[in-house]
Amino acid sequence: MPTPGRDLIRAMAAGNRDAFAPFYDTSAPRVLPFVLRIVRDRADAADILQDTFWETWRGAAAYDPSRGTPEAWIITRARTRAIDRVRAVRRRGETFVAPVDEAGALAQLSGAQREVVELAYYSGLTQTEIAERLEQPLGTVKTRIRLALARLREVVTPP
Amino acid sequence: MSHEPFETLAAVYAVGALDGDDLAQFEAHLPTCAVCQAALREAQDALARAMLSTPPQAPPAEAREALVRRVGRARGADRRSWLTWAAATAVVAAAAAGFTGTWVAVRYEARLGQMARETAAVKERLARNEASLREQVALYRGAVELLRDPATRVVDLRGQGPAAAASGRMIWNDAGGGHLFVAGLPPTPAGKTYALWTIGGGIPRPAGLFGVDAAGRATHRIAPASAGAPARVFAVTVEPEGGVPTPTGPIVLASK
Repeated sequence: MPTPGRDLIRAMAAGNRDAFAPFYDTSAPRVLPFVLRIVRDRADAADILQDTFWETWRGAAAYDPSRGTPEAWIITRARTRAIDRVRAVRRRGETFVAPVDEAGALAQLSGAQREVVELAYYSGLTQTEIAERLEQPLGTVKTRIRLALARLREVVTPP
Repeated sequence: MSHEPFETLAAVYAVGALDGDDLAQFEAHLPTCAVCQAALREAQDALARAMLSTPPQAPPAEAREALVRRVGRARGADRRSWLTWAAATAVVAAAAAGFTGTWVAVRYEARLGQMARETAAVKERLARNEASLREQVALYRGAVELLRDPATRVVDLRGQGPAAAASGRMIWNDAGGGHLFVAGLPPTPAGKTYALWTIGGGIPRPAGLFGVDAAGRATHRIAPASAGAPARVFAVTVEPEGGVPTPTGPIVLASK
């Protein structure tokens, strides 16, 4: 799928300030629910969104289309910041943020597959932490993640 | 070591959950392996699309304004040569239009489709109403024309039997045909219709079939009779839908 967002990133990389507003207006409303899903707090989510999009402006020149889609580029940045926030909250001893009912493509996964993806991607747990939490062998967790991603690819790839 | 375990590690790496020796091993392997790079890229792309598949939410307007202003003040235009800047600028308008257009299309497609259907339905209803109005005007005009003729008679019809509450009025001209107006007739049973008969010289002649509206009303135009004795009596009976050559059903309206 050709992504016009790629052209906007190229224009931002060239220093064109006019490219930022359309880039933000088309991407931010889609990224916000994702960030909110991880941090659960509107103020935190708004902060992370600001930081993420400021970073896309500053770092547009570093975007390499051969290494992934604009969506993956933005989401990866947003997630890193959101997970840092969630881990900081956990380090302060506050309670673990449990996954909520999933909408969108993740809802197409089996319960067990969705659980490992959510614990990893939204809650920021590592494979070892997930294995401990679910009381499953590490190998089982790894395989489950791999199968979940394979299924997810089927779901989001248009036939 | 076979390559298969690396494919699992790539998936775990994509969701950010790789740790310990696995992480060190995979990060050492990744720069040397095009297969793993592609697998990782595809996994991250699929994840991103999955993550962005939930309904969008508008960020706070103040936050957007603050950020757009911040970018507006930022040093940026001098980051690349003037020529690159100009070339990139040229694509912005088109790209923004495309990006936004796709977005707007997805968002409003359903609504637009619904509006188009509603508009079509309204147009159809208007056309139907107009046709029905024209028909009625033509009918009343015909009745008025008939009434100008001194030979025209106006005959009252009275409800009979179970339709005692019904009433009718016939405007009749032996040369010009007639108009029947009825009120208070119950809807006909399934498979049945009302049939009008003109009776002259003791012989009933079929003068058309009609149904009534929800309020029990009907107007029925009768073409001029081509032959036979002048009509003196009029009657309405309940008959099978296809019509019959002579009355078979009960009389619901009749003139004296």
